[in-house]
This record gives sequence, structure tokens and C-alpha cells, in this order.
Amino acid sequence: MNELKSDLSVVGKRIPKLDASLKAMGRAEYIQDIKLPGMVYGKILYSSYAHANIIKIDTSKAVALPGVHAVLTGEDIPGKMKMGFYKDNPPIKKGKVCSFRDEVAAVAAKSPEIARKALSLIEIEYEELEGIFDPEKAMKKDSPLVHEKNKTNILKLPWKLHYGDVEKAGEKAAFTVEDRFSTTWVTHCCLGTSGAVALFDANDNLTIYTNTQIPSLAQKDFLEALKAMGLENKRARVIKPVIGGGFGSKLDTYAYEHIAILLAHKCRKPVKLTFDRQEEFKATSTRQPAIIDIRQGCDKNGKLLFRDIKMILDNGAYTSWGATTPSVMMMPVTSLYRVKNVRYSAKCVYTNNTYSQAMRGYGNPQATFAIESSMDMLAEKAGIDPIEFRRINRNHPGDVTPQKFKITTCGLDLCLDTVEKELKENNIKQKGVGIGIASLIHVGGGARIYKSDGCGAILKMDDYGKVDIFTGGTDMGQGLDNITAQIVAEELGLFAEDINVVHTDTDVCPWDVGAHASRSTFVAGNAALGAAKKVKEKLLEFGSKILDADPGDLVLRDRLIFVPGDNEKKMAIDKLLRKAHFSPGGTMLMADFFYDPDNENLGKEFKGNMSMTYTFGVHGVRVKVDVETGKVEVLEYVAAHDVGRAINPLLLEGQVYGGVVMGLGYALTEEVVHKKGKNMNANFRDYKLFTAKDAIKIKAPVLETPDKDGPFGAKGIGEPGCVPTAPAIANAIYDAVGVRIYDLPITPEKVLAALKEKNN
Amino acid sequence: MKAFKYLSPKSVEEAIAFHGRHSETSRFIGGGTDVIVKLKEGWMEPDFLISLKKIKEMGELSKNNATGELSIGAMVTHATLEKSIMIQKEYPIIYDAVSNIGSLQVRNVGTIGGNLINAVPSADGAIPLIALDGVALLHGPDGERSASVKDLFIKPYKTILKPGEILKKITIPPQEPYTGSAYIKFGRRAAMELPLVGIGVLLTLDHARKICKKARICLGVAAPVPMRAFDAEKFLAGKEINEETLVKAGRIAADESKVRDSVRGKAWHRKEMIRVQVKRMGQKCLELIRNNN
Ligand SMILES: Cc1cc2nc3c(=O)[nH]c(=O)nc-3n(C[C@H](O)[C@H](O)[C@H](O)COP(=O)(O)OP(=O)(O)OC[C@H]3O[C@@H](n4cnc5c(N)ncnc54)[C@H](O)[C@@H]3O)c2cc1C
Repeated sequence: MNELKSDLSVVGKRIPKLDASLKAMGRAEYIQDIKLPGMVYGKILYSSYAHANIIKIDTSKAVALPGVHAVLTGEDIPGKMKMGFYKDNPPIKKGKVCSFRDEVAAVAAKSPEIARKALSLIEIEYEELEGIFDPEKAMKKDSPLVHEKNKTNILKLPWKLHYGDVEKAGEKAAFTVEDRFSTTWVTHCCLGTSGAVALFDANDNLTIYTNTQIPSLAQKDFLEALKAMGLENKRARVIKPVIGGGFGSKLDTYAYEHIAILLAHKCRKPVKLTFDRQEEFKATSTRQPAIIDIRQGCDKNGKLLFRDIKMILDNGAYTSWGATTPSVMMMPVTSLYRVKNVRYSAKCVYTNNTYSQAMRGYGNPQATFAIESSMDMLAEKAGIDPIEFRRINRNHPGDVTPQKFKITTCGLDLCLDTVEKELKENNIKQKGVGIGIASLIHVGGGARIYKSDGCGAILKMDDYGKVDIFTGGTDMGQGLDNITAQIVAEELGLFAEDINVVHTDTDVCPWDVGAHASRSTFVAGNAALGAAKKVKEKLLEFGSKILDADPGDLVLRDRLIFVPGDNEKKMAIDKLLRKAHFSPGGTMLMADFFYDPDNENLGKEFKGNMSMTYTFGVHGVRVKVDVETGKVEVLEYVAAHDVGRAINPLLLEGQVYGGVVMGLGYALTEEVVHKKGKNMNANFRDYKLFTAKDAIKIKAPVLETPDKDGPFGAKGIGEPGCVPTAPAIANAIYDAVGVRIYDLPITPEKVLAALKEKNN
Repeated sequence: MKAFKYLSPKSVEEAIAFHGRHSETSRFIGGGTDVIVKLKEGWMEPDFLISLKKIKEMGELSKNNATGELSIGAMVTHATLEKSIMIQKEYPIIYDAVSNIGSLQVRNVGTIGGNLINAVPSADGAIPLIALDGVALLHGPDGERSASVKDLFIKPYKTILKPGEILKKITIPPQEPYTGSAYIKFGRRAAMELPLVGIGVLLTLDHARKICKKARICLGVAAPVPMRAFDAEKFLAGKEINEETLVKAGRIAADESKVRDSVRGKAWHRKEMIRVQVKRMGQKCLELIRNNN
């Protein structure tokens, strides 16, 4: 374990976001701000039905409209151009539509108005088919099929594990609980809506501006798209403008990007395709709804004996990364608390609903809602205080969980103590007021989902003591640029503002698997640190020659290189750099580094140490329930996390605050309402995202348990903030008024209905 | 959004005349918080927008101390009402309603007149003005007329205003002593929220502060247009106001409401909220009356 070094000068400091002033002044350039010479505007036409055959499409009027440069239908899409993790989704559909968000045509025109007008001139004849919107019904033999050729709506995915013997453990259990929980669609609500600008050079090489979280994997997708278009051996350059929020929504490539590429190629002009808010709600992916059956049991002393979970996930009509979230749900299922006997299975089912995607937590919030609600119910049955019950079963440093996760640092006990103290201080029992807690485990040291979990960095120093670092890691608003700058500045004895972080362009930045799995601080941070260490070594070596000192005695700090206590042996770093450069046989200081963590892909039976380290946390909440209206008011919120080390406590708290508010929306208000596959609330009036006025005061104790593998001891903290919020709230409501809500969001209607049922 | 011309007449007569010349293709605009949304969505495509902002008299808020009559110009913004000490003290029901409309930015430009004429079932501004027996002063090509605010609404998005007619102001008759009034928007969020139901209650008691002389119970989103719960009002008149009578009034109001299921909320819950909130607002009125005297 790393010692907590207190002599750090940049790491651990509350340095505001380096781009804060740009954003505050409206100078940050988002995809909406990109304008290129000769650029035209793309627009997509969506299906009018949830499930229908396309009998006829007539685009002649649209083609004839002055100002229209290109019109595409499913017929124009190369057969091999398919999107998503299952490659079941062409960018424009042909023959049949399977959801309201299915793309049926697209146009490029001189102005957005003309493009819109052109869409209205496209005539389509449909033959409506019976739709299927309930995943449980979709699993039945006689259900209509979303994709006939599959002969079933159930996806062939391997999500099934059984460690130990759940049946046998069940017989031994003194107390058992069994319940069904469910969650619904919520969406990312990025304030910056989606969009792309695509253009080809004269040699058919593609440049695409797009706000993606996965520049390197997107590049791969776009190269495959080019290949499908018959453009082999071409280049695809991905440029990221400033991203107005990701939260997982940009972990795949989408129809709008592929359509922009196709339109740009057809009309030989840059094509810009951006979403308005309504389109953002209707045509981007959601968190996947889950139906969760859970059974858990413990012995008479409260020791967990088994956990048995079955899930049904509404996949929607096509398959993006949402279908792979069970691989992450397994983590809390097998490894949140010590439990030897675990069984888990998940079925992803096609329906004619919108398709889901990654969203902050990647399945963990759904699984944790069921597990942590059930934990409270089991504690009650066993007659044990819920916090004590968790303490009995908590994970310990050095544990290897049934899924073969190696727990290195683990501050779960510390988090439990901290939250308990906060909640139980001045806890006067009042009518309608109650407290609840819930814990979390999440990957904190990368996550080997893909073949590589790596990230590259290239670093160069100039003659003025400034650094440019080209990193694969993506800043999408979460502040990775700061983290990178602080790590490099610390290592090289500079200030954070001396470091220019470039992460925007695949032509200059090395590979990275993507901004997901709370991995960027850990993985991209280690990549930056690796490159900085190499340069530091050169600096010290050169400094030792010039200053005639032992490299081991030299310190880099405050833009100086010096031997502490020796005033003679001191020089400004920029001066040293110039000496290095402008001497015979001169040299520039540069280095590259590729960091691929020593974690493992999930292997046989889904076993393997997926992450280098795991982040733990406990959320505690005090709520007040209005028993006449069912309304829940959050009075107090504590979110304690074991973060390894806070590279920047200000940003870390920001991640936690944002996560908690997102979690509160998930728990209490947010829901994409679908009626037979149709989005009924595609606006911020009816999609109840928390407003500033709804946001509550959150205490976010930062508990440091420096991790030996993290950069300066840091673990990932991007997602945890929204993971255990919903069960903490549900548990507090139960404590307050004795009703248990099994279905998210916990609306006043549901609470009041449960209260009425209880009182009858 | 279709292009349009923006006109800024300085008097009501001028505005009506402008409208008369292009009656099919022009629209009045107040703060524009409803109009601009409709333009952008393409639900409305006028060639001319006639702004009422420069008409000074329409932006005035005043109380005649001799008669006790309150006059609210149609162009008075929600923020102006919210910040007025006189409104806060003497017309708490108006304050309750306007201070929770949309957001600060919306309240800064949105007007009370626009709120009424937009005529949605959820208009927060309408409920208190109905409870206060407000009277709308209209001015059109055929001259002036007045109507009680309660009778302005025909159906969602439709009022009794004739083409070219302008809502000039709303007057509120003097309030009797021992009067209390309160409004609540019941919704799921603290801001940027349409009410699931909006409930306004006004009670006037006798000098002993016991017996109800007058009751107004007004409901938003309980029917296609803002409505008064006449049965509940009748029930309370002449009775002693206490927990029991208020509970009963709540139940009667809930029963006479015509709430419906929608994407936003279920009818049964709306009904429950009317029941509970009529009682609570009644209790708040009682508190106000007791604290004021
Ligand atoms: C984000 C947002 C949040 C909102 N939140 C709420 C809320 O919480 N509660 C609520 O009740 N409303 C809300 N609204 C709706 C709107 O802000 C209010 O109804 C507002 O009072 C409308 O006033 P305005 O001056 O902006 O009307 P405008 O948009 O200018 O006009 C509305 C309609 O009235 C007509 N009109 C305006 N003034 C006159 C007049 N004097 N005579 C004749 N016709 C006239 C116009 O032609 C138009 O048809 C919200 C709107 C937005 C955009």
C-alpha cells in the first residue's frame, strides 16, 4: 500500500476545471458549433410504427426539392453496414421497422429547414404488425417475433453462473427472503445533444467530428463502415469537440454517425447531423429496464449463506452494449458482501421498444437496487440492525470473491462507520421520518471487458517549461484533463496550468479503449504517469550533470530543479530544458507510454479479476414521507466512498454530487414513459430530471485508502455515486412508514398506493 | 421557425388596429414564453407578432386605497407580482401561485395575461384570480367589455376572446375582513413543473372567526379548464370551519372534480391530492386569518 505522501504540491489540490472559464464564457466548441466550408445539413426520418412492414417508399418529391443534395433509404445502405455489439442494426432499415426510433430515410440539404421539409415529402406505405412490448410476454412461444430469422425473442447470450451450491445453502438458512423488483427506462439527459459532422477528402479518407466516449473503437467501427461502402484501406480520423456529457450514452457508434458518413460520401460535402432535444429523447438509448427475482438467506447469526438472482432485461429492438450489462451486474451479485453460494442468470429479450445502452453504473444500479433492498428485508427478518447486518457480511482487504475478484484495498467498514455516525447523530425518531443505507462495489482499477484495457500517452516538453500530453483518455466533462495535468505536473515539478492535455484527435492521440467503467483516472492516469516518469528520469539525469548533483538528491517542484537545502544547486526547469536543447548534441524531452493494467478478462464461468482494484461506498439517507400525499422528501444525504486517493477532491466531490443527484432522479422521479413503444415524454417538462431547486445538500466524505496500483493511489469514482441511491431511499422509506416499494421510480402514487394497501 | 415581423404598438388602440389589418396572420405576444415555444414547434406560424410590451398601462400593478380594488395589468410579470410586498401580504394566494411558476427566467418575462389567455388546464395564475373573484377587462375592435375570470375559458387553448381582442387588465374586488387564501401546486419537482393538480382555497369568516361567510375552492388540472368546486364551497358556507368540515369539503371537491389519467399522473391520485390539499389549504387560510388579526 502506498504511504499517503503529504509533500505533494499539485496532486490532492482542489484545482477548478481547467476549461471552466471557456465553458462559462460560452467559448467551448461543441458539435453544434462546428461549421465547415460547404457544409450541408442531414436529417433523419423515423418510423411511424413500432412494428410494421415497409411496403413502399417514394422519395421522388424530396429528391426534386431545390436545395436537397442527397436522399437515402434502406436500399442505399451497404448490406454489411451494421451497428452495435450484436451487429443486428443497420443505420437505415429496409423491409421492416421494429421500433418507433427506426430510421427509414435520411436527407442532406442546404439548410436544416429544407432538410426538414424534404423529410415531410417522403411518402411511406406501411403494413402494421402486432407489436410486443413486454419482455415477459415476448419470451412466450406464441409471441410476435421482432426478428423472425432468430425464431425467438430471447438473445443468445451466456449470462449464467452458479458458484457453490445455492440449493444446499438454502436448506441451511435460518432466514430467507424472496422478492421481485423492477426498474424502468431512464435516459442520460446530456445537456449537449448528439451529433456528428462527416467529410471525405479527395482520396476518400474520412474525417468525422463526433462527441464520442470511445474515439479508438469508434474509429474501428467507421473503418468497418468504409469497408462496407467499398472503401478499403482508407483512413478514418475521429475528432472530438467538447462533449456536453456522456454518462455512457456515447459508448457505441450510432445511426446518425453512419448516416452522416453515407450522406457526406454521396454528396461530396461535409454533412452535419445534430439532434434537437426531442430527437435526443426519442432516438438515443436508455438504461435497460430490469425485472429482478432475488432470493437471499442467512444463518441465525446473520451470516449470508446464499444469493440467487434471475433477471429479465428489456433489450428493445436492437442490441447495443445494454445487452452486456449483466457482465457488470455479476459484480454486485457475486461480490457485494461475502457470500459463497451464488447463482445468477439474465435473459435479454427483444421487444419493439427503444433499445438500451450503457449508462453510468452499467447495470450496477439495477442489481444493487434489488440486492440492497433485499439485504434490509433479510436483516429485518433475522432481527438484526441493517447496518450491523452489513458489517457482519462486509468484504475485507485480501478477500478473493467467488468470481475471483481480488479485493486489495477495501474501505467498506470505514464507509459504514462514517455513514452510521452521520445518520445517527441527532437522530430523533419522528413520525414519517426514517433512515436507510445501501452499499456498493464497483470496478475501480479499469475493467477488462475488451481484449485490451489499455491507454497510451505521448508527452513532450518545450523550451519554456510547458508540456503537451497526447492521451487516449477522453474528457467528456468529468475532468480527466485536470487529473492528467495534475499527475504530470506533480511528477515533473510543474503547475497544472503548465500542462496542455490533448485528447481530441485520433490522428495524434494514442489508442484507448474508452471513457467507461470508471477507468480513466486509473488507466489514463497511469499512462500519463508512466510517460511523465520517463521524462522525469531524463530531467534528473540532465540536471545532475548541469548542477553537479546526485540524481537521487534532486527534487522537481514549483518549476524548479534543486537539491533541498543547497542554494547553489538550483535551476528553473525551463532553463534546464533550454540547456538540454541548445547544446551540442542537443535533445528534446519526449516520451511515450502505454499502460495496460494487469487485470483479467472474465474467463470460464465468468471468473477472473476484472479490475486491478474495487471501489466501495455506502450511501445513507434520511427521508420524510408525507403519508397523505405519498411524497418523499430527502432531508439528509451522506455518500461515503473509499476512493484510494483524491487526485482532486473538488472534482471528486463533483462526481459524487452529480452521481447522487442522478441516482435520486432514478430513485424518485425519472422515467421515460413508453406507450406501446412510443415515447410519451420526450421533453424536459415531462421527463422529470431533478432541477437545481430539487437538488439537495449532499455530504460526501472522501475516505482515502491508497491503492498500490493506482496513480498516486487513486481508484475510479466516476460511476459509484449513482449506484446505491435508489435502495438507500427505498430502505429509508420503509424505515419511515413501513412500506416497501419494489418498482422504480418511487413516485408519490406508488407510495400512497402502498400505504393504503398496508392500512386496509 | 418561420420568419415573422415584430410590431411594438404603444397603445391598446394601435395594437387592435394593427391586428385588424392582418387579422388572419397576426398574433399578440406578451412575454412570449408560450408563443415562442409554439413558433419553434411549428404549431403557430404568424406573419406578424404584435407585442404588448410597450403599452404602458398594461404593465401597471396598483391598488386603489379608497375602494380597496386591486388592478393587475395583463402585462404584469409573475416576477413583479412575486416581489410585490403588497401581494405577498394581502394576496398570499397570488404569491403562492406565481412564485412557483417555471423558473426565475420564465417568471421574469412571463405575464399574468399570457398565462390566462394561453388557457391550459394547468395555468397556475388562473386559480388565484378565480378564487379572488377577479374580473377581466377586454378591449377589442368593438370596444370594451368585461367578464369574470372564471368564465374566460371555453376549452384547452380556447378563451372567450374574439379575434383582435386584448385582455387589458384584471381587477380584484376589495377583500372582506377575516379573509385568508392559499394555493399549492402539487407536482413532482420543485421547479419547471406543471401541477398534477393546483388547489386554491379562499375563506372569509365572520367576525368571531368561526363561521364561514364565503368559500372559494378552485382547482387546476381537475377538468379541461380551471374550475370552481361549487358543491364544496356550498357545503362550507355558513358552517364552522374546523378539521372535520375541511376534511369533508376536500372529499366533496375531489368528487366533483373531473380528473383524468394521463402520462403525467393517475386520476385516483389526483383525486386524493385534491382531497388532501383542499383540507390543507383550508387550514392554511385559517392560520392566516388568525395570525392577521
Ligand atoms: C419553461 C417553462 C416553464 C413554465 N412553467 C409554467 C408554470 O409553472 N405554470 C404555468 O402556469 N405556466 C408555465 N409556463 C407557461 C407560461 O410561461 C405562462 O403561461 C406565462 O404566464 C405565459 O405568459 P406570456 O406573457 O409569456 O405569454 P405569451 O407566450 O406571450 O402568450 C400566451 C398566449 O396568450 C396570448 N396573449 C398574451 N397576452 C395577451 C393579452 N394581454 N391579450 C390577449 N392575448 C394575449 C398570446 O397571443 C398567446 O396566445 C411555463 C413556460 C415555460 C416555457
